[in-house]
Amino acid sequence: MSSSVDGPALLDRRLLIVTGKGGVGKSTVSAALALVAARRGKRVLVAEVNVQERVAPLLGAPPAGPVAREAVPGIFTVNVDPRHALEEYGLMVLRYRALYQAVFENRLVKFFLRVIPALPETLMLGKILYEARVLEGGRPRWDMVVVDAPATGHAVQLFRVPAALLETVPRGPMRRDAEWMQALLTDPQRTALSIVSLPEEMPVSETIDLDAQVREVLHIPRGPLFLNAMPDARFLPEEREGFEGLQHAPSPLGPAARAALLQAERAEQAERHAARLRSAVDLPTVTLPLLALDRWGREAVECIADTLEVHV
Amino acid sequence: MGALLKGLSEKRIAVVVGSGGVGKTTVAAAIALSRAREGGRALVCTIDPARRLAAALGLASLGNVETRVPAEAFEKAGLAARGELHAMMLDVKRTWDDLIARHAPDEVHRDRILKSRIYQQVSGALAGSQEYMAMEKLYELATERDYDLVVLDTPPTAHALDFLEAPDRILDFLGNDTARLLLAPAVGAGRIGLRLFQLGGGYVAKTLSRFTGSDVLRDVAEFMENFQGMYEGFKTRAAAVRGMLSKPDVGFVLVSSPSPLSIDEALFFHGHLRAQAMPVAGVVANRVTPDLWEADEPLPSAANLAAALDAAKAGLGDGELARRMARTLAEHQVFARADARELRRLRGGTTGAHVSVPRLGSDVHDLAGLAALGSWL
Repeated sequence: MSSSVDGPALLDRRLLIVTGKGGVGKSTVSAALALVAARRGKRVLVAEVNVQERVAPLLGAPPAGPVAREAVPGIFTVNVDPRHALEEYGLMVLRYRALYQAVFENRLVKFFLRVIPALPETLMLGKILYEARVLEGGRPRWDMVVVDAPATGHAVQLFRVPAALLETVPRGPMRRDAEWMQALLTDPQRTALSIVSLPEEMPVSETIDLDAQVREVLHIPRGPLFLNAMPDARFLPEEREGFEGLQHAPSPLGPAARAALLQAERAEQAERHAARLRSAVDLPTVTLPLLALDRWGREAVECIADTLEVHV
Repeated sequence: MGALLKGLSEKRIAVVVGSGGVGKTTVAAAIALSRAREGGRALVCTIDPARRLAAALGLASLGNVETRVPAEAFEKAGLAARGELHAMMLDVKRTWDDLIARHAPDEVHRDRILKSRIYQQVSGALAGSQEYMAMEKLYELATERDYDLVVLDTPPTAHALDFLEAPDRILDFLGNDTARLLLAPAVGAGRIGLRLFQLGGGYVAKTLSRFTGSDVLRDVAEFMENFQGMYEGFKTRAAAVRGMLSKPDVGFVLVSSPSPLSIDEALFFHGHLRAQAMPVAGVVANRVTPDLWEADEPLPSAANLAAALDAAKAGLGDGELARRMARTLAEHQVFARADARELRRLRGGTTGAHVSVPRLGSDVHDLAGLAALGSWL
């Protein structure tokens, strides 16, 4: 199976955007992709966007906050928030902290910054995209930047910012930034966006809608679809019929038949949703198994990374 | 009737809250349906573009106006329709526009605001805008209509705080007097940021426009100027909305899945509601894996199950099936125990009725499914 639609292999892109509906496992997939890249000797930054941090804890490390920090060898994480992105950007432009404070810590200025259209998004996206293209000692600071992007609606809002600015802002620094940002986002050599989904009704519907928006509105090159937490079909139809009659049998047969029946139902339902997704979205799909784990942490991420390894 | 519905039977407003993807919309619809089946006039207002909900209710689509669920849909589901069930979908932009139209002193001001780029930002993209409009619509539905119960399905907020604080926060900046007064004369004179310039020690305005360009600053000033006369009306209404939410005929319903993140958010939200003296009617734990092995004894081995299959003469039995069954039960119990642990945490930290809905065999896709869900509430 090819791991991406056009252009270089997924992990050879500089910028990898991972998005999807809330609760589908975006952070796990982002962390696992970073792990696969790190296993191949790449230096990776995983950026979360103004949320309660999940990636570093998933890798067994403390949250990084607004400054990139190494979670495990080769993988750095950062939580980008508008306030620190503004400070960083402001300092880059103004050069002196005292000057920055005089201007941006001003109550009035703070107020204005809230109503400037799309400023927080511009700053956060700008910070992330800057990391994806900045050089250090003649080579890129990061081999790959993975963006654990906000849930569906907010993601479209975030990544539409440069195009929206190009439509509305006539001139000035914001427009110049929007130009290079849009060029990076839409470059299939450097960038790919992958959606994570679950084999359930609402996530599948949202994925289909989101994919259409990526194609028609965002124009970001598309990477493979990650179908997460897929239960395996492990029982035959005649076995399942047998379970129906056994589910009220005394223990241990009754509970075992009941569990088997629930698993079979869940797998069948999941397959139906997965089929709808595959027929509606013309992308290669990487299926990740439903893991029976008591707690979700490093072990789960390693497991997912093992599965990913052969696909990306 | 389950504990949650009993707790809601005296309420006129139910606000369903929780993180995204936990089944809020379906729970909200099930609550409204249950009231309609009891003979009441109930409305569910969702924010999700939930086509599936529309389909489940037997409606072609949901819009910004209330639509009654046809009696045939009830008949088809084998349910007696003693009352009425209505449904609608909140259109955030339309609700904003209506609100502006309601408060604008005249058409000129209204149109200037509606066309402003800054207004597009405030009404469309500003954090909390959606939440604010959900509350606004709820107030309108509760005060200007005649429902026995209005169920509001709230936006999936990434930050639970947004929901209660959005109106205050948005009004706080719309009513920022300092900014307005500073900018107003500058607009008239065509010299944006004149006073700002002086105030900031010489480089504030210059620096700001280095970031945004001066056109953007002018847009902001014009918007503030146009909004000036409307602020008081907005503020009065937001205070009324806030007042409405702490009345005893309102009940908040927290919905959570058993995932640790969802539970964390539910607990956090619960604490916040309590701190603000908002009435919590109950907590719904949705999609819970049932515990099938409550006994203290160890889980059965493949050999145990092979023997049991053999004894039951099910005609299925071979060792290989027994092995798969043993593994399936063991995995099931991993999920069940993790869910039970999270549920204990949820129960320990919340008040009101507690109900738990098992992960159902199939998705809810019609009125009968909603009614079945309702039976757990």
